[in-house]
Amino acid sequence: SGEEESAADMTTSEKVVELLNQAALISTESKLTVLKQVQELIINKDPSLLDNFLDEIIAFQTDKSMEVRKLVIGFIEEACKRDNELLPKLIANLNMLLKDESVNVVKKAILTLTQLYKVALQWLVRSKSVSDMQEACWDMVTQMKEDVLALLDSDNDGVRTHAIKFTETLIITLSPRTPDSDVPKKQEGDISLDKIPRDHSYIRYDALCEEGRSALEQLLKFMVHPAISSINLTAALGSLATLARQRPMFMSEVVQAYETLHANLPPTLAKSQVSSVRKNLKLHLVSVLRHPSSLEFQGQISTLLLDLGMTQNDIARLTPAPREPRKRPR
Amino acid sequence: MPSHPLRVAVVCSSNQNRSMEAHNILSKRGFDVRSFGTGTHVKLPGPAPDKPNVYDFKTTYEQMYNDLVRKDKELYTQNGILHMLDRNKRIKPRPERFQNCKDQFDLVITCEERVYDQVLEDLNSREQETFQPVHVINVDIQDNHEEATLGAFLICELCQCIQHTDDMENEIDELLQEFEDKSSRPFLHTVCFY
Repeated sequence: SGEEESAADMTTSEKVVELLNQAALISTESKLTVLKQVQELIINKDPSLLDNFLDEIIAFQTDKSMEVRKLVIGFIEEACKRDNELLPKLIANLNMLLKDESVNVVKKAILTLTQLYKVALQWLVRSKSVSDMQEACWDMVTQMKEDVLALLDSDNDGVRTHAIKFTETLIITLSPRTPDSDVPKKQEGDISLDKIPRDHSYIRYDALCEEGRSALEQLLKFMVHPAISSINLTAALGSLATLARQRPMFMSEVVQAYETLHANLPPTLAKSQVSSVRKNLKLHLVSVLRHPSSLEFQGQISTLLLDLGMTQNDIARLTPAPREPRKRPR
Repeated sequence: MPSHPLRVAVVCSSNQNRSMEAHNILSKRGFDVRSFGTGTHVKLPGPAPDKPNVYDFKTTYEQMYNDLVRKDKELYTQNGILHMLDRNKRIKPRPERFQNCKDQFDLVITCEERVYDQVLEDLNSREQETFQPVHVINVDIQDNHEEATLGAFLICELCQCIQHTDDMENEIDELLQEFEDKSSRPFLHTVCFY
């Protein structure tokens, strides 16, 4: 049609202007479609436009629809990953959305902070000299990190689940990757403590190391809360297995936490929840056992697995041989 | 109520009977639903218990239908397999394997414990990226026509209740407990992350 032809003649910039004008006037559902198009145009098609239209998109963070606010969060994440220099500006917007009245928006903001914490740290470490603006940005990220850790105590079960996953990633970032660490392919380029220079002008290695330790303590403390929900217990069990494989230096703490839990399942769990938790515990114990660094803990893990109904033969089959050369995980 | 419809997956072993019965009902009720099997092959009953008809996941329902008509039309009409395949091909072209699907769901419902285990194993073996949670719930359903129908209604009622919660993740634990009491079936439930 003629309309399509004239749309094809428009520059990307003109198209974005037109879409944004539309978005101001239409229903939530079409607004989401239109804003997704804008995001695609200015983040992937022509990122040189990103700076120009940033404020127009961010203005939707006060939209009455939570789906639109969640879209703004997704946009913040993509924009900051695309251009790290946007972090100082956009992190403040993310901070506001982290305190949104809708739990769904808060949860999305936690997922995004989980990603952007690493991005911000890497950005600072890479900079030769750190500007006042960057310092302020990192201070805010650090404050937001504390806020999310505090959400392990949220009244809302789903918010707590998201806080657990944030804590897991934080611990991995703030501890060193070692030769026996499992490294997921998609996270190969991620920053971790071992890549932080000891003489950085603003980032303090020792302080970060301490923050990582403290986050692990908070996660372990969270797990032994007597009123923990079965879903959050499940999420935490999985996080511990991830920690044990990616940071074998914590395997002792993880195995001990599994033992403690096995001996003291929360009294609030219903019968079927106990089955679900035990099944999960078995699954994660097996994945820890399969890691070459489990050697020291094989006795403890086998005892637990026997208790959970696994046969001696199955356990032997899953146990890595002591001197076997290390294979790449899966 | 969440503003976007729940993305639901129903999973059984062969993506023929239990998951397709539920797929049928859920899509009629307006859910954003897909169905899957976790088996390595698609198995259908054959002339004897030890002689099942085995297909791979690439075979369409239509091809299976034609194959069975050719093999023994009377037998497969009588035991309802042709009727089931005819229903299935109106829903989608072919069975799908859960392990091969990279799309994300809010809720995955499995129809037996072995399938639940396979779904958990698969989800846990994937590299986590976005940490978007997915709730996995097992509802035991025997693999026959009658139980599949009853099971599908139960799954549908469960999905409707979950869809109508104000805050699914905050309420799902309690909701499942109520459902267990009402249906006198135990549910396994866990959360995984994409």
